Amino acid sequence: MEILVNLDVMMARRKISSGELAERIGITPANLSILKTGKAKAIRFSTLMALCRELDCQPGDLLEYRP
Amino acid sequence: MNWDKDQSILLTQICTAVFAALLLALDIGCYWAMSWFVLLRGLDRSSVWYFTATIYGCSVFAWLLLWNLWGLLGSIRRGEVFTADNVRRLRIVSWCCVGAALLCLVSALYYPSFLMITAAAGFMCLIVRVVKNVFQQAIAMKSELDLTI
Repeated sequence: MEILVNLDVMMARRKISSGELAERIGITPANLSILKTGKAKAIRFSTLMALCRELDCQPGDLLEYRP
Repeated sequence: MNWDKDQSILLTQICTAVFAALLLALDIGCYWAMSWFVLLRGLDRSSVWYFTATIYGCSVFAWLLLWNLWGLLGSIRRGEVFTADNVRRLRIVSWCCVGAALLCLVSALYYPSFLMITAAAGFMCLIVRVVKNVFQQAIAMKSELDLTI
């Protein structure tokens, strides 16, 4: 039972690099890497909102619940 | 007087160094100090060796405690407060208190006033353990916060 972060899939679809996305949403590349690799324990609404805005997607496109 | 964080830590480090100097002086002059004490209290002359053994036993724990306190203060000064190393240091400090308390408890067999030191050391151990538990909880919270993006 886990929450998967499909950030890399969405980034590939939008053809955007980690460095560029990190800069656009105002977090460090290291923190974006933590998010991409699924090591994050929580995500702020502000970060999620910025990700959705820059990737033009819904939260459900980025997060997936796997029972 | 307005004390900032670094000055406060420096003061604590100076106090730790003063305690270390006093402990060193006690270690060096333990026999003479105990001879004087035994004479002053009118105790049996042979008890000097019991007192000396207790003081040297407690001294081992005291040095270990001071060394760990020094390390803890240095770590806090560097801004590394809630770390696993500091929890380990606090655990060692609390066990040093337990060790000294037990030694004094045994020593109370020949000099009952050592029971007061036993109680003080036991109480100090309790306080240090609570601080250690707070540090452990803080580390868990910091880890959660660090991984909140």
